[in-house]
Amino acid sequence: MSKSKNDRNTARRSVAPLPMEFGSAEVDEKNELVSVLVFQIGGAAYSIGVEHTEGVVDCPRITPVPNPPDGVSGIASVRGRMTVVMNLGSNGSTEHPRQRLILIKGDAQLGLLADRVEGVRALERNKVRPVAHGKDSLTRQRARFDWPARSYFKGNGARVPILDIERLSET
Amino acid sequence: MIDDKALLSDYLSESEELLESLLADLDSLASTSADSPDTNVVNRAFRTVHSLKGLSGMMGLVEVQMLAHDFEDILDDLRLGQVSLNERTSAALQEAGAGLAALVGGAARGSASDEDFERLHQLLTSIGLQSRERVKREDSALELLNLSDRERDLVTDYEEHRVNENVRAGRSFYGIGVTFEIGKLDTQYRALCAALEAAGELITTLPAKTTEPSLVAFKLVFATALKETDVKRITGPFGGRVTRLERSTWRKAGAALRAAGRMMPGRNANSREASGRLDALLPPGFAQESLQPLSPSVRVEMAQIDELSGLAHELSIGVEKLTAMAEEFLGAANLGARERFDLRFSARRMKREFLELEERLVELRMVSLAQTFTRAARLAGRLARELGKSVSVEVSGRETQLDKAIVDRIADSIYHILRNAVDHGLEPPEERRIAGKKARGKIKLEAALEGTRAVISITDDGRGIDQAEVRRRAIEAGLIAQDEVLTEEETLRMILRPGFSTAGQVSAVSGRGVGLDAVERTIYELGGELRISSEKGSSTRFDLAVPTTLVMMSAFIVRASGWRYAANVAQIIELLYLSHEDILGRDGKRSISWRGKTIPVIELGFALGLGGARLLHTASHHNGDERKGPATDTLKVPVLITSAADKHVAVAVEQFDEQREIIVKSLGSIGRRLKGVVGAVDLEGGDVALVLDMPSLLLLRSTRL
Repeated sequence: MSKSKNDRNTARRSVAPLPMEFGSAEVDEKNELVSVLVFQIGGAAYSIGVEHTEGVVDCPRITPVPNPPDGVSGIASVRGRMTVVMNLGSNGSTEHPRQRLILIKGDAQLGLLADRVEGVRALERNKVRPVAHGKDSLTRQRARFDWPARSYFKGNGARVPILDIERLSET
Repeated sequence: MIDDKALLSDYLSESEELLESLLADLDSLASTSADSPDTNVVNRAFRTVHSLKGLSGMMGLVEVQMLAHDFEDILDDLRLGQVSLNERTSAALQEAGAGLAALVGGAARGSASDEDFERLHQLLTSIGLQSRERVKREDSALELLNLSDRERDLVTDYEEHRVNENVRAGRSFYGIGVTFEIGKLDTQYRALCAALEAAGELITTLPAKTTEPSLVAFKLVFATALKETDVKRITGPFGGRVTRLERSTWRKAGAALRAAGRMMPGRNANSREASGRLDALLPPGFAQESLQPLSPSVRVEMAQIDELSGLAHELSIGVEKLTAMAEEFLGAANLGARERFDLRFSARRMKREFLELEERLVELRMVSLAQTFTRAARLAGRLARELGKSVSVEVSGRETQLDKAIVDRIADSIYHILRNAVDHGLEPPEERRIAGKKARGKIKLEAALEGTRAVISITDDGRGIDQAEVRRRAIEAGLIAQDEVLTEEETLRMILRPGFSTAGQVSAVSGRGVGLDAVERTIYELGGELRISSEKGSSTRFDLAVPTTLVMMSAFIVRASGWRYAANVAQIIELLYLSHEDILGRDGKRSISWRGKTIPVIELGFALGLGGARLLHTASHHNGDERKGPATDTLKVPVLITSAADKHVAVAVEQFDEQREIIVKSLGSIGRRLKGVVGAVDLEGGDVALVLDMPSLLLLRSTRL
């Protein structure tokens, strides 16, 4: 059986409930798979390693903050914690009836706004391409994808960046 | 009862520390092998009770002193190997320790009843009787010392006890008469004491008579394993007159005490060995140090730390302003490269040091979870005994540090979950055996840091939560619809819903919901999260994820540009309403007259970058010719007066809301970079209000001031 193809198809179809647990290991050593959470915002697709995620919730009301850093829409209270909401959408102000918030692990208390969360996708390692060989400076990354990403994969003919959460948190 | 408030507060905090140490040691004794209790732990417990006795005696709390004395006797016997420790005795000791802890506060405040004292006395007596045949206290060796009645009356209970101890240790007693000139009393007395203490134990110093007014005379009671000639050699330089204090009946009485099994081998036969054994048990200088506080720390009220933090914060803002000014000067002044470097370097270093100061002050509020965990583990053990269950509590991560206010707030939640675990989670022993488990249940109490949060986990190896049962109950209680699809987590979280457990009793889950909603609310209010996981038949785990630091403040909630904001009350000088006549000037340069000065007025929405000066514009627009009707006459703009960089500023808002105490939640590492905002607070209805730091917010817009 051609397992990889089969897995990909399954992953592509999967919408909520998510087939893989949040925060589980990124790489399946045996099958050499990389698990990413794919989501859409402002018409563009992004992905993030599932090991960086804590869950997905309906986005509560966002309170604006003064002089926000790039991409920061404001603050929302999620599960008792103040989450810094980031909107990676190109115009920064997408109006979607029911936006979702992808909660990111770590001290940044970051949440990524999504118009739609497509689900977890298991990628074969060789399908993941580095953004730039050698010096992957922030400028070069952003020049290609607007937001810091070290790698990408091709989905539906377009390049889907796998976001670099560490860099994103430093934005 | 202690009337002096400051004294009471000191006594309570010091005795609390002693009691915590005692309880921890008693727990440790209960959990180690009964056959060989750790002598260090026993000695420490003994010293702790002894210190408590001394402390209580000093405060005139005779009952506590007496109870501590009884306790001390039991520990003393344990220490000297006269008593063996079994499970029952160690449990009784834990009980007695908890009883003493419960009583101390009441005694100091005068609210403890005679029955309370009597109950604990009975318990201590029964432990004493259980463990051994006691030699009656009246058989005190003090009677055998050659002292006058008057002198004997001056000997305290403690000193009498020390006499007995030294008799047991087989030491000899000497009276040392000394006379000092008043002028040299201090140094000479101290030097003599130091010399004696190095060679034995100075039991007490009694006053003696002298006819010369410029002289002071004392009689020192000294116990030692040394011979009389050696004692004379030590005291000779001080002009000491040494006499043996033992009466002729001594030898006979000593034999009687030994026969009663209370004495160490007699001093005549093995005095060196006996004192050697005692020395091995006691750390050097034990007798002298035992009344000293155990901890070298200074106690400081939390409010004082908060005040310091506030002050440091204000200073750091001042420093920031100063640094900015330094940069301006660098551009304008005609300075050499060296001066430029020095100025820039100093300014930066000062800024960094202030940041560190603020961080250190935050750390001062941090306490470990040790006390809470110790209490919690003891509570679980006691509850299990009451319920006829057996439990071992494994504790880890007690060194995890959290803000004291958080620890205080979550303590009850931890106890609550533990009680549930013992009561409802753990099965009775026979049920456990049938299920193929060990009869003794296990509860793990763990703490670990997870980013900026501490996660406290309480895991039991009991029957777990029956999800089918939870679902059935939730439907029955009307919390979910018959056909509602829930994930595993959602199902488990049903037990946190208010009213979940009030609908009736179901064995597998009963009681799990009682008050758990309150627990979740507490955790949530702190900016934390309660997680539950469970496997039917084998375990239940509660995770309390809470922030490690916490800032509480009195805040004034205001509205601006349609949003609510919390302003630190400490940063508000005055609240007032302005009418249109009060506002002078035009856009960007508006001001008001306040306390005889002209101060700038700025709109909060503008300072926050949320829009122009609508309020003020509207207000001043109606100033003068363009007034159109009576409604505009009553237009009032709410304004709060604050200060930034030593300048007063009026900040206009849309509406004053209310003043309330808030818990400031952190905005994480990104949030720390937001200027003018120190955190956020949850408001009713899921709303969030940013907590503003007025000075830094206004300095951002300093060009407008």
